[in-house]
Amino acid sequence: MAIAGVLVTFAGFLLAAGSVGIAAANGVRLVIVLVGIALCLGGIFGLINPAYQKNALWKR
Amino acid sequence: MMRRILIAFAATWLLAAGLARAQAPAPAPEPAAPPAAPAAAAPAPVPITDADIKSVSGPSADDKVKGDPAGTITGTVNDIPVGDAKKGLTVADVVNTVGQNVIASNFIWTLVTGFLVMFMQAGFAIVETGLARAKNANHTMMMNFMVYGVGMAAYWIIGFAIQMGGVAPNTNLGGLAPLNHEVTMSLFGKNVGLFGTRGMFLGGATYDVGVMVMFLFQMVFMDTALTIVTGTAAERWKYSAFIISSFFMGAFTYPIYGNWAWGGGWLATLGANFGLGHGYCDFAGSGVVHAVGGVTALAMAIIIGPRIGKYTRDGKPNAIPGHDIVLVLLGCFILAFGWFGFNPGSTLGAATSGNLRISSIAVNTMLAGMAGSFGAMYYMWLRYGKPDASMTGNGLLAGLVAITAPSGFVNPMASVIIGLVAGILVCLSCEFIERKAKLDDVVGAISVHGTNGI
Repeated sequence: MAIAGVLVTFAGFLLAAGSVGIAAANGVRLVIVLVGIALCLGGIFGLINPAYQKNALWKR
Repeated sequence: MMRRILIAFAATWLLAAGLARAQAPAPAPEPAAPPAAPAAAAPAPVPITDADIKSVSGPSADDKVKGDPAGTITGTVNDIPVGDAKKGLTVADVVNTVGQNVIASNFIWTLVTGFLVMFMQAGFAIVETGLARAKNANHTMMMNFMVYGVGMAAYWIIGFAIQMGGVAPNTNLGGLAPLNHEVTMSLFGKNVGLFGTRGMFLGGATYDVGVMVMFLFQMVFMDTALTIVTGTAAERWKYSAFIISSFFMGAFTYPIYGNWAWGGGWLATLGANFGLGHGYCDFAGSGVVHAVGGVTALAMAIIIGPRIGKYTRDGKPNAIPGHDIVLVLLGCFILAFGWFGFNPGSTLGAATSGNLRISSIAVNTMLAGMAGSFGAMYYMWLRYGKPDASMTGNGLLAGLVAITAPSGFVNPMASVIIGLVAGILVCLSCEFIERKAKLDDVVGAISVHGTNGI
């Protein structure tokens, strides 16, 4: 799951960085960048962090 | 009762701020362009000749011997160096001296502000040590002490070349012509910069006075990002792992993003390449320094896990208070002092090119810090019934972090609003990181630097 999280986070980065090539209108680019940032945060807090906390010290 | 008084006080404060904004005089209308004067009426410029320069007389030797208590006869034509003694003082000598004085004032400004930023290491060290437990003070202080040297070594070997190796030209610091190679790739039909290559070990042509100024200033910025991570990972980070991690961050992680934003990389050229205004504008490093440090700290907190005893078996967080709040708040003051180097120094000069805005940048910086501490103090007071010293300190730092990127572009009222929002945001973020994400951030660096940096 951690690897999936890294991939999702990286996909978010690519989406945000690629917004300039995907759309010509700045408004659309802004929306794409925000989606990319949300994807990054989802990858970090939704996938990577839970994967590391599956066997967290305080759960043992 | 106390809560009502606080709410009323906060509301009054915000109302006063709003009224001040409303009462601000409307900007004067743009003056109409003056009608073009007839060409014949314009006086022809009179060129200054060497003879004119030679006619300027300085104080006599007799006058100088008497001393100069008022400072009126020190720094005159006598002090301009003459290039050729046979020709005497020429226009070229004067022009060259003016040029050198512009660069000299930029050098002095950038170096002195760099020294201030270097002193922030002391601030970070005592903030982090104060927020750690007494038994780990030695370890925390040692990490903060050595992160300076480890980061500098990595940056000198390769980090500076990656970040600034293709930044030329820079007019403020004399051109920086030796830093002239950026590795690029083609993306969407445009050449975008990825990393620089000139300046490893500061050897070859990069042994240059301007490059040295740039190295010193950028090095202390890089070290600031590195020391953010030590705060989050304090009390449980294996020392050898800290050395290796910090070295790689100073050599690669920070410089790569620094190049993208400040070294002529793809973010810096978004404006020219894709019509996005001025491109990615991060005046002094909310993103480059603080967000990079904060996000790296987040990754570190996820990987190394919490301290023993931080969470109960059912995931409830236990407060592990720091051992010396005096150190914490003194460190915050030192950091606020250092920030006067961080933001105003990022003009990389005090003369020409609009650099006189250093005054407004400095004022924006102090106002945002003030508003940040107010925001955090009021939030904690309203939510928990009393103000919290360490969170108020973190509010000050959050305001400073948030104003770092826009400090060169906004007015004082906007700075106060930015700082106030940052001060509240850092409290909310700390609660989220500790309770929802269940991450142990000893000093709140993820929230102060990561959240507000972004």
